[in-house]
Order: sequence, then structure tokens, then C-alpha cells
Amino acid sequence: MDTIIIDGLSFALPLFIMAIGGIYSEKSGITNLALEGFQGFGAFIGALSAVLIANTSGIDVENLFYVSFLFAMIGGMGFSVIHAVLSIKFKANQVISGVVINILALALTTFLTTQINALVFGAASDKFRLGVSERFTIEGLANIPVIGAIFTNVYPFEVIIVVIAIFAWYLLYKTRFGMRLRASGENPHSVDAAGVNVSKIRFSAVLISGLLSGLAGMCFAYSISANFSSNIYMGYGFLAIAALIFGNWKILPTLVACLIFGFAKSGGTFIAQAMALPSSFTDLFMILPYVLTLLLLVFFSKSNRAPRALGEIYDKGKR
Amino acid sequence: MNKDKKKKSLSYRLFWPIRNEKWQPISIPVASILISFIAAAIVILLLGKNPLQAFYNLFQGAGIFPKSSYAGYKSILTDFLSLLNAMTPLVFASLAVAVALRAGLFNIGVSGQMLVSGFLATVIVGYSGLDAIIAKPLVLLVGIVAGGLMGGLVGWLKYRFNIHEVVSTIMLNYIAQYVISFFIQMYYVDPVSRQSKYISEEARLTLVNVEIANLKMDIPLGFILAIIIAILIKFLMDKTVVGFEIKAVGSNRKAAKYTGINVGRNTVLAMIISGGLAGLAGVTYYLGYFSSIQPKVLSSIGFDSIAVALLGNAHPIGIIFSSFLVSIIDQGSTYMSSQAGIRQEIASVIIGLILLFSACGAYVKHKVSRLKEKEEDRKDSES
Repeated sequence: MDTIIIDGLSFALPLFIMAIGGIYSEKSGITNLALEGFQGFGAFIGALSAVLIANTSGIDVENLFYVSFLFAMIGGMGFSVIHAVLSIKFKANQVISGVVINILALALTTFLTTQINALVFGAASDKFRLGVSERFTIEGLANIPVIGAIFTNVYPFEVIIVVIAIFAWYLLYKTRFGMRLRASGENPHSVDAAGVNVSKIRFSAVLISGLLSGLAGMCFAYSISANFSSNIYMGYGFLAIAALIFGNWKILPTLVACLIFGFAKSGGTFIAQAMALPSSFTDLFMILPYVLTLLLLVFFSKSNRAPRALGEIYDKGKR
Repeated sequence: MNKDKKKKSLSYRLFWPIRNEKWQPISIPVASILISFIAAAIVILLLGKNPLQAFYNLFQGAGIFPKSSYAGYKSILTDFLSLLNAMTPLVFASLAVAVALRAGLFNIGVSGQMLVSGFLATVIVGYSGLDAIIAKPLVLLVGIVAGGLMGGLVGWLKYRFNIHEVVSTIMLNYIAQYVISFFIQMYYVDPVSRQSKYISEEARLTLVNVEIANLKMDIPLGFILAIIIAILIKFLMDKTVVGFEIKAVGSNRKAAKYTGINVGRNTVLAMIISGGLAGLAGVTYYLGYFSSIQPKVLSSIGFDSIAVALLGNAHPIGIIFSSFLVSIIDQGSTYMSSQAGIRQEIASVIIGLILLFSACGAYVKHKVSRLKEKEEDRKDSES
């Protein structure tokens, strides 16, 4: 039972923070299918900086979490500039731009990873080895039955994510910036009429989504895969999009969606292990989160409504 | 003054194809292809290699230009045929994406639909030992039906339950991947290759190692079909009521509804056609290009096809050209990396750049029309 909660949370929270990024972007009216590319590129920059710093300064890679998280956020944000420029300045189709960015991210990072490994480290490798982040347990709180598992074996990044998520919630729903952002996705002309620059709001929303996705990508690199390679593109970005649509473009329901994913995923693995079935049966349990999502959507998505101006290029002259 | 005018006319002539709206669908992709090859050339130069040599190697590897030497039974023709063999599923998959796009739907479940139809065709026909004359059409049929049902399900979920097609296709991709991996590993695994058992030659859509004129070539039968289907789809979309309704739904759902078009039915129909095409991609991939299925892996064609479809303006004939180009870059990259010593991964970087620049096409169009408007305004005010 404890492992379900522990593993579930460590998967659900990075997904959640990425989905929040997606919510920011989509609430401002920019369709964002590029989350997958952002998280991969962010993780690439984070891992690269960690490996490079470790190489030059002699510090162990395992001790460079915070540095790499910082760089991953910068990297994800930097990469998201492409999406922002294409879809806001260049008025490109936002779906196209998103897909292109995913393809470009995968191609660029695999190319650069092998190239840098060969040039800098003289190794023929297609990954940066990172190791798994250390975990901590809060004594006392961890002894509470059931809920205690939340405080057991926590990755440090989970705490960071929770803090950022609360801040992101506040920013989106309680500040003037957040209100304008949400209005840009519903009725950009009224925002414009109020004297606010819609393009600027949307631009910053996309950058926020890049920043948060980069963070999420780094979390996956430091926990699930323990390295950076093209395996980072497991489709979690798309899963985050699914979660945010499931959550009806609102932060709290999206959290619920992410938790369902996380727990169904860890629960499936747990059941398969507990029943001591042959390994091929685990595949059957792996479909649990996806089947569950589809079923839940059948019941709950009738009332789902995307932001009204989502995906529309903002044209001042249009009425 | 005179010189200035001359300069203007030169650049005017050079950019004329981009300025002319009629030529834009062709000139913008071509321009973006050129720009990205230039960008790739700069990268290759920075790596200290000769870009022209590398690009020449790329085309050599794809069977467009002759190589300096060939292994036994090989020639430029066999290389070119294997290029067509690799290109066939890509054409089908891109058509699948394009049809859905025309209906305003975004089918990112092509990989899943390919896998399901490929798997069902493998199990039903591939292991049956039927004669080639029955087996090959049956494979196609199973592919179309399985893919069409998968696609139709997505359309139905969208229309009946308002489930966004992006979400449902992603979920179905995962479900297909895991369930089929389970079945392969339980019942159909080949203990040596760790993949599904090879299908019989009779059921395979590519004739392998056919000896003609002392050459061993792979003849992709599906390629001819791909060209025919592309033309059929063009006809369907441009000349029939079905195509018109699908396009109407795609460009404006509400307007289509007010004119009495059944939006729900057309959504489902478009997804069935799209899924059927993805099914054809699946059988030509798993029972043509390959002859077995690797468990737990979704083919990357599903995502590449989105890009190829967009590069080809979601137009069936454009797609044939864009998938030809992408396949050349893909297929030639191995030879290029062995000859020029450049990493193979640069090929996908080139493809990515081509797409990136062609995504800017809308901006170019916008700018050009703005310039034209301004010019007209100026003319008006002058007169």
C-alpha cells in the first residue's frame, strides 16, 4: 500500500507541474502540444549542465540536483521561446508548431547528446548518466497510518513541485496577471480593449509552460530513468495534456487527474508484483491508468469546455 | 536611382514565387527545404566536414545517385526500391493524418492504429498459410477494417461523449501498445529475435529478394496502392459530397451545422477513413517493410507522418512529394554516416528544421499579403 502512494506521488507530481504549465499556456489561448518537447529539452539542458559541471569541478553528479533543476527550467523556457515566437509573432498554426517542436527536440537532443559525449568526454554513448536523486523521510509524520506514506521516501523535487504548484495556483486565480491571462484565452479583444498587450501575456504564459515542463522533465530524468537519453520522450508530455483536458483546464481537478494516473500506474505494477505473475502480465496491468482515464472521461467530459479563444491566432482587426 | 531600381527588380524576380499566392503552397515548402539544408550545411561545416559531400552521400544511400561500389546483387535500383519500400507506410500514415486534419481533427493515434491493424493482420493472415493470391488482399482488408474501427471509435467518443480526440488517441496508443505486447509475448514470440514470429512470405506485401537480371530486389507492392489511394483521396476530398462535408465540418463546425450537415456523422466518418488509412500504413509497415512486430514499441512513423502531412499542406499529392523527401533523408542517413563520418542523427535534425521553417510559412503569407495591401494603399493615395 505504501509503495503505491510513494511511487504514485513521485510520478504524479512531475506530471502535475507539467500540466500546470500546459494550463497556463492554454488558458492564455495558445494550444500547447509541445510540452513533450519542452520537458525533454529542459531535461537535456539540465543533465548537460550537471554532467559538465561535474566534469570540470569534480563534484559528484548526484549532488548537483538543484543546479540541474535550475538549468532545466532555463532550458525548457529557452526552448519554449520557439513555440511562443512561432505561434504568437509568426502566427503559425499552434498545433503544427507544437508537433514540430516535439520532433525538433527529439532530433536535436539525441544528436547533441551523442555529439557532445564524443567530443567532450570521448565516449561513444547516447546518454548522460545522472543517478537517482536521494530521498528523505520526515520522521514522526511518516508514522501516521496510510497518510504517513506521503512523507516517506520523498524526493526533494516533490517538495519543490508542491511549493511551485501552490504559487502557480495563486498566480493564476488570485492576481491581476492571472486574471488577464485567463481572459486572453476567453476573449482577447476585451483584454486588448482594457489596454493590456495580449501578445505579451500569451508570450509569458508559454514561457511559464516551458519553465515548468523543463522542471518536470528533469524530475523524470532524476527518478524514473536515472539518466538523460532519448528515452525521456516517453509520451509523458501528452499524458500531461490529457490530464489537463481531463481536469477541464482547471488546476485542482487536474491534480486529481494526475493523482489518478500516478496511483493507477503504481497500483498496476504493485498488483502484478503481488500476484507474482509472469512479467508479460505486467503489460496488462500497465494499461490500467489509460483505461481508467477513458472510462472516467466517458462520464465526466460532457461538460468539458476549452477556453473559447484557444488555438485562435489573435487578430486585432477581427471582431 | 537607376541602380536601385534594378536591384529591386532582381529581388522582385527572385521572390516572385513566394509573393504569388498561387505558387505559395509549393514555393514556401521548397524555400524552407533549401533554408534547412543550408542550416544543416553550416552545422556540418562546423563539425569540420564537407557538406556537399555529405548531402551527395545522403542521396547515394537513398538510391537517387549511384554509389561508387555495390555489394553482390545490389545496385542503385535495389537501393531505390528499398527507399520506396520504406516510403509506402509513411505515405499512408500521412494521408491518414491529412484526412483527419481536413475534418478539423488531430489524429495522433496513427501509431496505435497501425499497430492494432498490423497485429491483427499478422495473427489472422500472416500465420494462416493461405495462398498469396488470397492472403495479400486479405491482409489489406484486415488492415483497413481494424484501423477504421479504431479510428471510428475515436470519432464516436468525440461526438457522443465530447472526449477530445487528442486524449482518446493517446490513451488508445498506450492501451494498444501494452495489450499487443502482452499477446505477442504470451503466444507469438520468437525466442531468438524476441519479436513476434515472422509471417509467411505469401502474406507479405513486399516481395523480398526477387532475382531479376542478377539483382536481388525488394518489390513493394503497397507502393503502387499508395499512389492510387492518394489520388482516390484527392478525388474524394475535392470532387465528392462526402469530401465537401468533411471539409466544411473541418473549417467551421457551427456553420456546417447551420447548413444542415450532420457534424457527428462526418466526424465519425472522417476518423474511419483516417483510421483505415492508418491501418494500411500498419500492414505495409509490419507485413511489408518488416515481417514481424517488436513488442512494446510504437513506430515513430505515427508522429513523423504528422510532420510529413503538414509539409505537404495536407494535400494528397503534396504528401507523396514530402514523404519522398523525408524518406530520402531517413534512408540515406546510414550511408552518409558511414561515408562522411557524420552522425546519423543529423538526418532527423534536418527534417526537424525543414518542418520548423515550413511552419513559418503562414507568417510569410501574412507578411506578403500585408505588403501587397500597403502597396495598394500607397497607389490609391498617390492617384
